[in-house]
Amino acid sequence: MTPASAGVMKAVGAVIALILQVALAPNIALFGSFPCIPLVYVMALGVADPANASIALSFLTGLACDLLGSGPVGALAFLFLLAHVATARVFLVLDNDALFMPFAIMFAGMFAVETLYGFLLVALGLPVSLLDAFLNRAAPCALYDCVVAVIVYPLLVVLFSRTAKELKIRTPKLR
Amino acid sequence: MALNFQQKNSALVRRVLVIALLVIALVLITLYAREGEDGFLHSAQSSASDAASVVGGAGQGIGGALDALGKGVDNLTADDGTLSSLRTQNEELRAMVAQAEEYRQEALRLEELLDLKSSYSADGVGARIIGKSTQAWSQTVTINKGSADGLRTGLTVMGTTGVIGQTVSVSEHAATVRLITDPQSGVAALLQSSRAQGIVRGSLEGILYLENVDADATIEVGDVVLTSGLGGSYTSGLIVGTVVKVDSAQGDSSRRAVVSPNGEISALEEVLVVLGTSSSDDGSDGSASGGSGTNAADKGGAE
Repeated sequence: MTPASAGVMKAVGAVIALILQVALAPNIALFGSFPCIPLVYVMALGVADPANASIALSFLTGLACDLLGSGPVGALAFLFLLAHVATARVFLVLDNDALFMPFAIMFAGMFAVETLYGFLLVALGLPVSLLDAFLNRAAPCALYDCVVAVIVYPLLVVLFSRTAKELKIRTPKLR
Repeated sequence: MALNFQQKNSALVRRVLVIALLVIALVLITLYAREGEDGFLHSAQSSASDAASVVGGAGQGIGGALDALGKGVDNLTADDGTLSSLRTQNEELRAMVAQAEEYRQEALRLEELLDLKSSYSADGVGARIIGKSTQAWSQTVTINKGSADGLRTGLTVMGTTGVIGQTVSVSEHAATVRLITDPQSGVAALLQSSRAQGIVRGSLEGILYLENVDADATIEVGDVVLTSGLGGSYTSGLIVGTVVKVDSAQGDSSRRAVVSPNGEISALEEVLVVLGTSSSDDGSDGSASGGSGTNAADKGGAE
């Protein structure tokens, strides 16, 4: 698999994540909370292939989520890009070939994105308190994201471990 | 277009790209916050949501598809051709019965909407819900009627048993409805028994709260809550729900009651968009956007 085809596959994955967000996510809501599948994808991509951070892809995925939602356009684009780059950087530094670290980094990143997005909405006029926004939306949605990440991350690692071998790039190993 | 960079690419170029994209995102956020509901970004968002509703409709059949998959696996284990043929025939007949039942239930729902329309002498447009909000932070639905059908922003939307929301953005063939359970929603309301005025607000938990009620007003469990029409945001006289709990005692300046919506909002499939009523003073003259209910709250002497 060439780097160009890997890029195409990542883009296809982002499109699939967006389609699932529109078609599936609202129908699997629990107590009003449902996962942000594109966020899970972007975070998992940052950890599965940290050496090839998908800067433009994470930005465009976030922008697409903004356009499909009702929040401020640009907010998720900002947060997705920042989280993806930060996740990739942190993982390259902290990776110890164990399974715990990638999940810990992803979970922390998803919690941060969901919380910051909620706080931004409150700052822009959502008539709820910060605590209310965190407890009733950010935290439950982040937990749901973590559950989805447990499914998505291993798939991406398997996919990009093949690419990494061809490119002789270090990737995390599932143990 | 290559969306990934090879390791050999300059770290400086990557840093510049990240910073540039972050700045672009911040500019977009600022523009979005400053522009009005008719701004370019809001319009683009509305168009994207309407386009995505086509995909969203597919999600409605996911549950049915999973059931069909399970049945298909059962059939694969059958080893008798005759039994398999009979089973196929049986399934076709079941599908026909299920479809007939679906039509029957749809007819019942539409009859209820027609009855509602007659009860309130409402002039309205029936619409089908074709999509739901893609974010957990807002509670909206997309319907399959738009400006081509006479819709505009600020119109009251009703389910079979009461008010469910208000149109907040309208394109040519679709519209977005903000549900009354959305935290940004605010409905100028009154209690049917005591005629006390207040504001019904949504919340992140999906619960409706009746707030800003006069300290001396009588609120009892079971009181019916109607739209008051104040501020022109919602057509007056339409049922919102029923009081199920009162948070504070009479005389307390910060009284609040919990209101149960009159019907299951999440299970709705068809709605009625009220263009006007022949009996009430119709205030729904398109003055509202999503925050109009909140504006009505301000005019009603709230915060």
